[in-house]
Amino acid sequence: MRDLAPSLAAMLSSPGWTNVVVLGAAADDGPRLTGSRVLLEVSSHPESLDGQLLVVLLADDHTDWRIDALISRASAAGAGALLLAGVEPLGRGAQLLAERLQLPVLGCSDPLAAHEYLRRVTAEPEVVRSDLVLRAVAALRRAGGDLTSVLRTTSDVLERPVTLAGADGGTLAGEPLEAGERTALVAELPRVPVAWAAPYRVDLPSGAVMVAVAVVGVGPVCWLVARLPGVVPAEVAAVPDVLSVVAPAVGERLALRRLELERDARQRTSLLGELLHGEPSEATRRRAVDLGWQLDGWHTGIRIGAEGQVDVAGRRADVVEAFDAEGLRAVVVEQGDGWSGWITAVREPTATEVQQQAAVIRRVHRRLVQTVDAYVGVGRVQPGPSGIATTLAEAGDAAGLARGRAETGRFLHVDRLGLAQLLLAWTRTDTFQPAAQALLAPIKDQPGDLVTTLAVYLDTESSLAETAAVLGIHRNTAAARITKIQHLLGVDLTNPDERLALHLAARTTPTE
Amino acid sequence: MGTVIQEHDLGALVVGVTLLGSGGGGDTGAFGRMLRRRLGAGELVLRDAADVPGVSVSPIGVVGATSVLMEKLPGGGEFDAAVRAVSRWTGTEVTGLMSLEAGGLNGLTPLIAALDLGLPVVDADLMGRALPRLDQFSWAVAGRSLTPCALSEPSGQVIVVDNVDAAGLERAVRSFVAHTGGWAVLALAPTPVEAAAADAVQGSLTRALALGRAHAGLEPGATPAVVAESLGGRLLGTGRVEEVARHLIGDGGAAFGRGSVCIVDAGSRAVIRIETENEYLLALVDGIPVVTTPDLLCVLDRRTLQPIAVDAIRSGDEVLVLALPGPAWWRRPDRLTHVGPQAFGLACAPQLLEAS
Repeated sequence: MRDLAPSLAAMLSSPGWTNVVVLGAAADDGPRLTGSRVLLEVSSHPESLDGQLLVVLLADDHTDWRIDALISRASAAGAGALLLAGVEPLGRGAQLLAERLQLPVLGCSDPLAAHEYLRRVTAEPEVVRSDLVLRAVAALRRAGGDLTSVLRTTSDVLERPVTLAGADGGTLAGEPLEAGERTALVAELPRVPVAWAAPYRVDLPSGAVMVAVAVVGVGPVCWLVARLPGVVPAEVAAVPDVLSVVAPAVGERLALRRLELERDARQRTSLLGELLHGEPSEATRRRAVDLGWQLDGWHTGIRIGAEGQVDVAGRRADVVEAFDAEGLRAVVVEQGDGWSGWITAVREPTATEVQQQAAVIRRVHRRLVQTVDAYVGVGRVQPGPSGIATTLAEAGDAAGLARGRAETGRFLHVDRLGLAQLLLAWTRTDTFQPAAQALLAPIKDQPGDLVTTLAVYLDTESSLAETAAVLGIHRNTAAARITKIQHLLGVDLTNPDERLALHLAARTTPTE
Repeated sequence: MGTVIQEHDLGALVVGVTLLGSGGGGDTGAFGRMLRRRLGAGELVLRDAADVPGVSVSPIGVVGATSVLMEKLPGGGEFDAAVRAVSRWTGTEVTGLMSLEAGGLNGLTPLIAALDLGLPVVDADLMGRALPRLDQFSWAVAGRSLTPCALSEPSGQVIVVDNVDAAGLERAVRSFVAHTGGWAVLALAPTPVEAAAADAVQGSLTRALALGRAHAGLEPGATPAVVAESLGGRLLGTGRVEEVARHLIGDGGAAFGRGSVCIVDAGSRAVIRIETENEYLLALVDGIPVVTTPDLLCVLDRRTLQPIAVDAIRSGDEVLVLALPGPAWWRRPDRLTHVGPQAFGLACAPQLLEAS
């Protein structure tokens, strides 16, 4: 039974004892309470108590001398603490006596309830557990559809704060964790949890305990965390079970949310695809209006690329937030491994305004870089619905260049692209494009996607192994294709001039 | 043989009756000065009951709010008026006086009355200490009627009460003093001294004088243990008064101010709590009842060693707490129920010092 005995401090912070107050002789942690015994009135004599709490149901006057006498008797009987009905302060003598005998004296307007709670957590932990789990199940059935309501319901059942934390300890929903709690939690939890792993218990230096259960579902792993300010063993044993019951419900809510997110992303991406395809149809315009996109006016395209595995749909909210924080109203669409966006102005911005806007977008970029390894390109201002496609194309080019340019902070504005942009722009001219296409015509319709193979081969500094790896083909296949290309084109790829011409042509020719 | 009191004994007698007051019994200083003036260079003999056979003694004393005595001083004729009224009603001449209550100022009043009226004083009284209620007179406890009796108050009004029990007399006295001057002299019926003394506590004033002399003999810097030993009592503690709580409780007709005094012993840090009404009634040390009525609880100023009364004690006082044995007369179980802690509404068995 002793290992079920909670400390007085833990009991005082437990849900069943919210209306219990300390009237005298409170120590830091207090004694461990091994149980609870009831006495009807102050003049009764307790039996041997052995660390139990002595609860007195009738104690009208806390300044009565009989309280002093009872404190003395309870101490002699080995009580862990004394709980009196009522919360009126003790007389000075009783306080001094309680301190002298180191017997904490508590008060409570409902002593029987306090007794019953302590008795249950010390004698019937399995009842506490099943009660909490059943209540959680019943409450979840009534809980609303969203994640917040599930967490709030759980928190209400446990009467403890409950948080949904990310793998880095960041709060996804519920009450935010404090910095210290966050560090302790992250240190304890594994990077990659398994679904069947036992719940984790993290003991904080303050004596508080955090119980974490992994929520494994779609998207990155997150943790359902309950915080208990003190260790009431029965409660610490019960909370993991409750969280394990709740975790699938949380996972389900997360999956639903994810589904919505993906649906919206898909909708936006497909609409953007149509816009990039030329003059928008009536239906496209209507859908754009539904999404709140303004097609007319002057647009500035922005391309944000992200390195590595980034949850583009999931992180869109961060991007929108970054724009909002800088006061820019941008349309943001998930596209490929990043986001495309544009800002629309009613009239044509002046050169100064363009510069200012670019500076603001740069600040947005700096914000994003804190959480995403992002590079940004900004296009020129273009009018009308078709302008969106144009400026986004420029932004895309700029982003492509920005990616490799740490010296510009991985940010490029087309107005400032200089030589690199001129060169790239030149490859798009009417004179070069037909020449490039003619150059590559012999290998265009051959089996084995020779144009792409060539482009990759040249991009990878003529490495066959690298080419094979990028394309996911065997090295010999790559070698055979290169030989075939050289044969069909009648060129020598070791010749620098020929290689440069082909490289530019491969870059500018769209591949299917 | 009797005890002779002269002027130089008065200081000791006053301290002695104050100690017997157990914190109550009223302020003895004013009556002490009155007695000194009456006595002058003369002497007063406290007689044993056996020495004055055939005398009809009337127990006499002041009842009511003794604190009002400070404001409404005696006129001088109250004792005479009461004694004459009770003599006239009973048809028996009062030929001797005794005290109602040896503790506090009523230890002195019969001496003043005796000097005024020229009557002998028998060293016997109905309490042996100070107690708050008339049903705690030994006569009442022993089954002797308290009536007929007479009351006289300072403005001259006199009433005679008869055919009523102790509780009824209590009510009559209280309503009388409440509607007149706040206090009155009470003289009980003249009774043959043999019978009167048989149901009374004997020798209390002699004891008071002995206590007072022992007290006067103490060195100025006497340690608490020496003080206790000299007075023949037990030291409960020495320290600072941490809290004095006072609250009125309506208790049927008689409402006394209930209160408590909390003292922390300077050496052991033991917590001493004394429950009070008009007197110190019950002392707990560390929550354990150690001394109760009818033993005497005395709180002395640590520096001057003067007794401190219940209504004068204040937080911050540095005090000695002593217990002295109470009158032996009360130590019989059937008598104890009338003056033990239960008689004051304290649910506690009497805790008495070892009889010395």
